Amino acid sequence: MASRADSKAAPAPLGSLGRYAGPATLIMSSLAGGAKHGYALTKDIEAMAGVRLAPGTLYEALARLEGQGLIEALQSDDRRRPYRLTGAGATALREHLGAQRQVANEGLRRLDAGWAPT
Amino acid sequence: MTPGGADSERRARRLLAWYPRSWRSRYAEEFCAQLECEFDERPRSIRRTLNIAWSGTLARASAVGLAGTTCDSADQQRWSLAWLAASLAAFLAMGLAVWSQLVVGWQWSSPRTAGTTLGTIAMSVAVLALAVLGVCAIAPIAAAVVVQLVRGSARRRLALPAAATSVAVALLIIGARHFENGWPGTGGHHWALQGLVPGGVAAFVWAATLAVSSYWAHPGALQSFPAPEVAWMAASPIAMAVLALGATTTLRRVELSERQLRLELRLGQLASVAMTVFLFGAIAWLSDSSPRPRSIPSNLFHVGAIDISAVVVMALALVCAYQAVSRGIGAITSRSA
Repeated sequence: MASRADSKAAPAPLGSLGRYAGPATLIMSSLAGGAKHGYALTKDIEAMAGVRLAPGTLYEALARLEGQGLIEALQSDDRRRPYRLTGAGATALREHLGAQRQVANEGLRRLDAGWAPT
Repeated sequence: MTPGGADSERRARRLLAWYPRSWRSRYAEEFCAQLECEFDERPRSIRRTLNIAWSGTLARASAVGLAGTTCDSADQQRWSLAWLAASLAAFLAMGLAVWSQLVVGWQWSSPRTAGTTLGTIAMSVAVLALAVLGVCAIAPIAAAVVVQLVRGSARRRLALPAAATSVAVALLIIGARHFENGWPGTGGHHWALQGLVPGGVAAFVWAATLAVSSYWAHPGALQSFPAPEVAWMAASPIAMAVLALGATTTLRRVELSERQLRLELRLGQLASVAMTVFLFGAIAWLSDSSPRPRSIPSNLFHVGAIDISAVVVMALALVCAYQAVSRGIGAITSRSA
């Protein structure tokens, strides 16, 4: 079944999350590897990026991502509820990371081409 | 459950209290489970506690339309109007107290220094603008409230806040009318024409805002006041609080068309500009360091600690009003997009 977010024409860009864009990118990148609950996300992000998201920040970002239909909560018998990336979330993440890669590539190219310590 | 587990759960539930009810009803269980895992790994962390306090406060602000994107756009516009009304009420309570002492002073003598003169004129123009905007804003809302009360469509939701607002307004008018007449310094004396505004208006506003006074910090001096005046100083802030609460609740509950909401928010935008002018006027007065001619009594146009506190409150209220208006206008834009 298509999720609520899948039916949207264009996913919300991650930049619209303001200061939560950073945590949101980390969370969505982690969920790109499969559904995870909050604590599993914390540990995976710590291992993946060396950043530990504080619980308040994590859940604020989860709430915003869920509100925008970029992730969705799955049913669970456990108190810990897993989340997964929606189709719209995957598209938004791909666009966001692609744009970041362009910036990174360009920055590296410029460094390689001409930067020298003064 | 182990004793440690019970303790962790208690701590998690305590921290959860930072968040609003709506957030807790959705995330409470999993957030507590998350915190219990965090406690197992790092039993104590001030940074974590501060992070939760901050996020919870933001979630609370978001739930009442002051931050984030929790509200839908119609709700956001209603919350914005309510916050604008509350900010305006706080601003006016302080601002009118400051303004009234200046225009009362002007009944006795013009200030004769540039900062105070320009500041008082700017504040008076802003008060006039706010009065006109207030009439334009209140009339359609009052009409909508009356229609909905008469039709019975929203009687249960509107009756109490509308009644509380009306009673508070009536009390403030009756009380201010009574006490303006009791003070010889304003209203009706034979120099009335030399004032910047009519003496009766100056006296009425002075009496309505009598509670904004540094005498609260000097109980000895307060005891020498007539008992009814002290009673009024104690009762009028309660009436003002009831007025602000009743008005904001009414604004949140009354059904307004999208066109009316737009109009109200546009008027709110203009009101924010008038508030800014008023605040600049007050700051011009506070920062006026020119020596006053000796012919002017030293108690006229005098700046006290209460005035500085009032300006600080006004500045905070203005920030809140700007935030409310910009979020409301943003909701209109996103709705039409």
